[in-house]
Formats: sequence, structure tokens, C-alpha cells
Amino acid sequence: MRDFFGKIGETSGFMMAGMGRLSGLLFEVFGLLFRAPFQKKTIQLRHLFHQVVLMGVDSFAIICLVGASVGMVLALQASYQLKQFGAELYTGSLVSVSVTRELGPLVAAIVLSGRVGARLAAELGTMKVQEEVDALSTMGLNPVQYLVLPRFLAFLLILPCLTVVADVMGMVGGFLISTLGLSMNPYLYIAKTFDALVLKDIYTGLIKSGLFAVLIALVSCHQGLSVEGGADGVGRATTSAVVTSIVLILVMDCLSTAVMYYVLPA
Amino acid sequence: MQEKSIISVRNLVKRFGNRVVLEGITLEIPEGKISVIMGGSGCGKSTFLRHLIGLYQPDEGEILIDGQNIVGLAERPMNAVKRKFGMLFQGAALFNSLTVAENVALPIREHTDLSDEIIKIIVKVKLELVGLTGFENFMPHQISGGMKKRVALARAIALDPKIVFYDEPGAGLDPITASMIDQLILDLSRKLKITSVVVSHEMKSAFRIADQMIVLHRGKVLEVGTGPQIQNTKNPYIRQFINGEPEGAIPFIQTSDAYLKGLLQN
Repeated sequence: MRDFFGKIGETSGFMMAGMGRLSGLLFEVFGLLFRAPFQKKTIQLRHLFHQVVLMGVDSFAIICLVGASVGMVLALQASYQLKQFGAELYTGSLVSVSVTRELGPLVAAIVLSGRVGARLAAELGTMKVQEEVDALSTMGLNPVQYLVLPRFLAFLLILPCLTVVADVMGMVGGFLISTLGLSMNPYLYIAKTFDALVLKDIYTGLIKSGLFAVLIALVSCHQGLSVEGGADGVGRATTSAVVTSIVLILVMDCLSTAVMYYVLPA
Repeated sequence: MQEKSIISVRNLVKRFGNRVVLEGITLEIPEGKISVIMGGSGCGKSTFLRHLIGLYQPDEGEILIDGQNIVGLAERPMNAVKRKFGMLFQGAALFNSLTVAENVALPIREHTDLSDEIIKIIVKVKLELVGLTGFENFMPHQISGGMKKRVALARAIALDPKIVFYDEPGAGLDPITASMIDQLILDLSRKLKITSVVVSHEMKSAFRIADQMIVLHRGKVLEVGTGPQIQNTKNPYIRQFINGEPEGAIPFIQTSDAYLKGLLQN
């Protein structure tokens, strides 16, 4: 019994410490962002664009694929259920609203935490192990400014963009399966799609994706920079970056949905 | 020796948990000379070096670099101190995503407002100093270990520092390449009047380059002197260390009594 509670205490202690370190990193990044307009060379556009290409442009194809698949599955499942009420017509509405509000941001975030978050953690972890991070700080360069800031900003730029791509591809996927596979009327489908969609659906989805971007970038960079030991440490950091990011994304998703649709006035 | 000292360390103490790693180290590093810090594995010499370059904070004591105490110094003044020294890491610690020229240019680009043309010339001069003309556009993984160290050395002296720290400069290199690195250290010290602090356990290279030798043992300074003084020392530990014998002041095989005692103590 004592062991059991001890374990719980220990785990929650570690979690608290982790949260503390994450918010420390967050404050440092925001501090640098506020200083950026007054201090030259804080944000280097060259590094930023390099990261945008590595993370964003190279993830375009997989986001399209995953977004379209999610839209297709959603249309298939929805029309099967809606048929029972004779409401097949509303498949388009259901797909568009659920993709923009929920699935687009979520799918884009999860794919990128696996594709880019893991990469960040492994990259920074290897740099830490090979003393490159120490070399930076001996040169008088702040590792957070030099390594974390461009990656953080790039993530914040690309995740909402890729979320829009996922949203569009989800709707396209739903459209294709409904018209070609389930022989619905394409004009009616498109009309219903845009009837149901309101601006709030889209911008709440984008706000969410921004929050997810902050979480993934911070967690992955933090895991990478806190690597101790050799290859084993890098492996552990990479796994933990992805798992922690996904868990935090889901928790954040739940919280932000509750706040945006139930707490704040419509 | 009545030279002006550029680094003064006073009563430096560092503990990791209950283990005392540095037990009150006090020493002076003379300006413009080569000082070699020696000692067996685990004697605290790497830890000591990491204090000098500001990567670790000591628990007690002070470190004066060029007259300024760096213990507890805030980030910005510390960065000003860091511009006075360069560091050659054991594994070279080059940035793998940058070319040789970009690696050397990095500290210049970040700390000065020089134009790209001038930086290019400085990089060329620095690479020539270490005998690597024409390797500007190679990536670190395309060159040998010895070359990597020389690039790292070019990077360390990019901003014309007063002091250069070397962590095991000959480690992992063949004897010829290692002696080339030794020659470079000598050249830099004699021609550019750079103060060199070398951490090493390779006797031959140490005696060849050292103006002053400092022997550390179990976190304490055992002896300080010139090469010949150390060579003729009566200290049994240093004698054993120089001659590289398994038996002596530090027993390799413990007596069964001492072994049992050691086991039971914990």
C-alpha cells in the first residue's frame, strides 16, 4: 500500500517538475520574442525558413493523405448512421463541421508530433550528447534563442497552415466518397457542406492548432535539450516527446473545446 | 614564477549530491603560457574545466577570468567574458548541419556586424592557420577526426580570444595527428600569445607542450610545476602516473581486507 501511494506521489512529483520546466522554457521563449523587436539577430529569418521548409513543406503530402482518409471514413460512417433517419443529405454538413472544428486540427497535430516532434527531440538530443549545445553556450550563444526559438516559431507558423490543408482535404475526401461511392448528388452535398459551416468553426479550429503547435514544439525541444547519456537517452527522449505531446494535445483539445464552446459566450 | 595570471581559481568546491568532486582547488594560470591540467580518469579535471568555461556553477569558491569573477554572473556579462575565450571540445562538437566555413563563421556572424565578404576572409585566414585551406565547403561528416578537431580549433580562435581551453585534444587520434594538434597549440601560443589551458592525460604530449603542469588527484591539486619539476617529483602517485604502472601508490588490486571494508561501508 505504502509502495503504491509512494509511486503515485513520485510520479505526480515528476509530472509537476516536468510542467515547471516546460513553463520555464515557455517563459524564456516568450521573453525572447518580446525582446526580438529591440535586439538584432534574435530571430534569424534564414534559420526560420529552413525549419519551415523542413517541417512544413515536407509534411504537405502526408497531411493531404491523412486528411482525405479521415474525411472519407467520416463520410462513410456518418452516412451509414444518418440513413436510418433518412438524413443522408446531412453527411456533408457533418463532415465539414467535425473536420474543421475537431479532426483537422487534431489529425494535423498528431501527424506532426510524430513526424516533426520526434525529429526535433532526436536532433536536439544528439546535439546535446555531442556537446554541440555546450559549444553554443561557450560561444556566448543562448541555446534556447539559437535552437528552440526558430523551431518554435516555424511550428507555430506551419501547424495552422497544415490544419487548413487537412480541413480542405477532409472535406474533399468526404465529397469524393459520398458522390462517387455512395452516389449522392454533388451539388446538394456541396450546398449542405457550406450551409452548416460558420466562421467560428474554422477559427476555433485554428486557435486550437496554434495551442497544439506551442505544446508540441515546447515538449519536443525540452525533451531534446534534457537528454543525458548517449544513444539510449536520445531514444528515450524521442519516444517521450511523441507520447507526451499526444497526451497533452488530447487534454488541451478537451479543455479548449470546453472553453470555446461552453464557457465563452457564443 | 612571477608572471601575471589571467585565470585565478580560489578554493573551488563542487559536490554532486553527497559526492565531493572538487575539494577546494586553488591555482593560477599564467598569461600567454600553456598550462596542462593532468590527472587520472575521474580526478575531476573535466569537471574543473567545465567550471572555467561557465557550464557548471561551483558550490563554493571563486573563478577570476581576466580579473572578473564569473561565479554567479548573470547571462549578459557572462557572455562578454565568454568572448575572451574559445574552447576545443573533446569530440570537436562541430554543427553537423553547417559546412566547415559556416561552423567557423558562426561566432563571428553572431557576435559582430561584419559583412559577409569580410567574414569570408576571416574564415579563410583562420582555416589557413590550422592548415585546412580549401575545405570551406565540406560538411563535417566528410572530413576525418583530426580535421574536425582542427576546424573546431579554427572556430575556437575565430574571435581572437585571449584564452583557449582544450579538452583532451589528442584523444581518439593517431599519434601523428595528435602531435600535429600539439604543434598547433604550441604555434598558437607562441605566435599569437594565446593562453592555453589543456586538459590531458597523455604524458608525452603534456611534457612536450607544457610551460606549467598541474596535477589533480581526487578533486585536489597535488602538485604544480614546470615539466622537468614534475618529471623529477618524489610524489609516488605522480611517479606512478608518469610511468603508467599498474602497481604503486594507487593499488590496482586491493587487499581482501580493504575490499571487504569497502563493501561493508556502503
